[in-house]
Amino acid sequence: MDWNSTPAEQAEPSMGRRSPLPLSSTIPASPNTVWVDATPLLQAACTDLLDGELIHGENFNLFAAMSALEIMDPKMDSGMICKYYSVDEAIEDGVGPVPISFDRTTDVQCTLDIMDHLLACEATWHKGHSLAQTVFSCIYLLRPERTVPSPILHSYCKIIRATCKAIVSVVSDARTHEEEDLFTMAYGLPLDGDGDEKSLSLLNAVEENLCRQLRACKAQSSRRKQDMEPLQSDIDMEEGYCKALLCRLRFRKHFFHVLACMRRPQGKGLELARKHIASSMSELECIRKSADFLISIASGGCSIGIEDRTTASGRQPIGFDASLNSRVSAPAPPRSIKMLSWNKAIEYFEKLLRDLDFICSYSLDPSLEVLLRFVTQFQSSRPDLVARSHLQLLLVQEGRLYGRDPMFAVITRAAGLPETTKNHDIQRYESVMQLGQLVINMLKIVCTNTAWQRRKLGKSLQDWRVIYVQLELAFTNKFGEVLATSNDENGVARVVKQILIWLEEQAYWIAFRFLMLGFELELYSPSEFFMVYWYLYAVLVKLAEKTDSRMEITEITAKRKGKKRKDSSKDVGRETRIPPAVRFLQCQIHLVEGLTLLQAALRNEMAALHSLTPFNSEQEIFLQHFELLQKACIPEQITYHSFKESTSYARFSNIATPNCFQQAQKLAKELRSSFSNDHDRLAELRRLEQVAEHNSVAMNVICQLGAVEPNSLKVSFEFIHHPCYATAVVRRA
Amino acid sequence: MEMEPETLVTSSGGQDGSHSERPSEPSSSSTVARVKKLLFRQVLVGIKDGRFFMGTFHCMDKQGNIILQDAVEYRSTRRNSPSPMEQRCLGLILIPFSCRTSCHVECPIEEQMSLMTIQE
Repeated sequence: MDWNSTPAEQAEPSMGRRSPLPLSSTIPASPNTVWVDATPLLQAACTDLLDGELIHGENFNLFAAMSALEIMDPKMDSGMICKYYSVDEAIEDGVGPVPISFDRTTDVQCTLDIMDHLLACEATWHKGHSLAQTVFSCIYLLRPERTVPSPILHSYCKIIRATCKAIVSVVSDARTHEEEDLFTMAYGLPLDGDGDEKSLSLLNAVEENLCRQLRACKAQSSRRKQDMEPLQSDIDMEEGYCKALLCRLRFRKHFFHVLACMRRPQGKGLELARKHIASSMSELECIRKSADFLISIASGGCSIGIEDRTTASGRQPIGFDASLNSRVSAPAPPRSIKMLSWNKAIEYFEKLLRDLDFICSYSLDPSLEVLLRFVTQFQSSRPDLVARSHLQLLLVQEGRLYGRDPMFAVITRAAGLPETTKNHDIQRYESVMQLGQLVINMLKIVCTNTAWQRRKLGKSLQDWRVIYVQLELAFTNKFGEVLATSNDENGVARVVKQILIWLEEQAYWIAFRFLMLGFELELYSPSEFFMVYWYLYAVLVKLAEKTDSRMEITEITAKRKGKKRKDSSKDVGRETRIPPAVRFLQCQIHLVEGLTLLQAALRNEMAALHSLTPFNSEQEIFLQHFELLQKACIPEQITYHSFKESTSYARFSNIATPNCFQQAQKLAKELRSSFSNDHDRLAELRRLEQVAEHNSVAMNVICQLGAVEPNSLKVSFEFIHHPCYATAVVRRA
Repeated sequence: MEMEPETLVTSSGGQDGSHSERPSEPSSSSTVARVKKLLFRQVLVGIKDGRFFMGTFHCMDKQGNIILQDAVEYRSTRRNSPSPMEQRCLGLILIPFSCRTSCHVECPIEEQMSLMTIQE
């Protein structure tokens, strides 16, 4: 088909009457065909058709036809022409004038509004909308060269484009934004600028000029320099306007530096990034404060509610039209967007900066265990996509941890092997290399959003299981019975054995995280808690066992090498031989055991808790929740029947002795001294202690009263003290 | 995607036009049969807001709503003056009768004469 791009005669949009062939000269069908008006024929056919009858060919499928985009439906037709046919037409109509106003005060006010609205657009974009409908709904951004005559606006637009480009780059590189995929689409948008240095130097020049203007207006009137042209015409407002502009420009400068520093390889720029983060935060505070000044001088009242406004002044900004770009946002249906308010946008950036600061505070500890605890803590503040992407790119660079440590070294260290093992030959074996890849995948997964993370973690369990089997098989075959003896001096056997122990521990950690994330995502209904706690019990027991094995064998290895043990207090007594990390798990085991028994007893003794739904049997629910764990045999020999067996005996008469909650409480208290330097674990211990304490009391009440008058009680399980371990709340029925 | 259509009408023309094939669908109307023959042809549909859509004729219902396959949207960059056209691909689209302003079907030149005769 020939496409003729020369201007053609444009037909007037016809109002229902048959139009003469307007495009036949511009869209010839092909050399030997013409366009023939089919309207009368179609009309006649429509009259003759029976109700509900369709004219269609053999390839027609009604179900598939339902997915057709309906033209002129605003939810589906992204090309619907609202007002302007194109950006250029809008510009010609005066939508984004340059300069904005010939009155300099108005010009400055409008520039501030544009800056504020762009901040709101940017935050909206980060939250998961398309770039084209948010930030690039600004005409000034769409035609970069137009803003040159207005230096402040021009430099601001430039830095915005550069910042957006940097963020698109980070998120794209992390490649884990599956569910937020509108984020990186930037087709047809002018993201490629002249380069970062130019943006920054322009910004610096403008900033310097503003500083001079600010100084000039603050100086005594007699000493006021005559040759310094003020920013705008209203002398009394000059200081306020200068400051308002300065803090906005400075915020952009520091924020851009944050992004640049954090991208430096191997975390080399983290310290400098923290300084820029601090500066950005203080500039944001200034921006917020400037609102009072801007609202007070805003001419023309605020058309929108003060809370919904997207600018500090409350005025609508000039030069924005989201519909102009709707065709570029995606061929798929455009989403309707509610732009974040200005206040919410500032809050978003403050949170983003806090999350980035948390990342920058990390010491790049070579221990995988420390790293995973750090990431878990990071995730508990529900960071957004941009922060998470930065963390992921920091952790895994070019197949190495922090771009620095090869995966095999990470594994051997995690397995407690001596430092020299990292050069061992077995790293070249295929299954060991695959294990390294699995660890990389795990690191990437734990940096993603909770829902995606849980799904992927669950699915990865089978891979871990397979690798374990492969590794075991590979080295058993090679060395026959060597693996069976633990005292052999053969380096390979020892190394493999320790790696295998660590591998199991890691798999159980993943299973544990998988189950816990289910609470955060509210995937379990209250009637299902007790089977989850039961499964958690099984997993935690195994996790503690494997962790203990790994630590024990590490000690033995260290002892053999004659190195001093790090914690000499472990010498005293058998009890303290169990490492604190394992006892930490034991505390949770007691807690979970108590919860399982309590809920089992309630179900067994009080029919009220049996919420039998007509949809699924209990066994089906069990299989649905734990399918991925069952498939990977983590733990082994755990079935629905073993679950039923172990919980069927629970009664009010037998669950309170021994009191699992009291045991948990006692352990939590004792462990405080072991983790005195670890704020995160201390906080967790406090939470566990509270859950244990309250549940202990509740259990006693329930067991005493329940034995006598079971129906006088109403028990519910609520997450008062801990996001995953529920507290029993007892009320009189 | 285009099937070579059979000749739309016999050369004898006339109001009701005779056909060699007997349609098997419920309505035995000849107009319906003729429109059926237009299936899989390139069709150019004009819309109230000035855009045009070209695609393969896929389906039509009694209300006159049309479904096009592999549709391409054409729009001018200026409402009122001559200007270059922009185009983009949309895939499967439904054009409601209410917003359709024109509908042209691609015809071999020879056929055009016959078709125009029938439509009078």
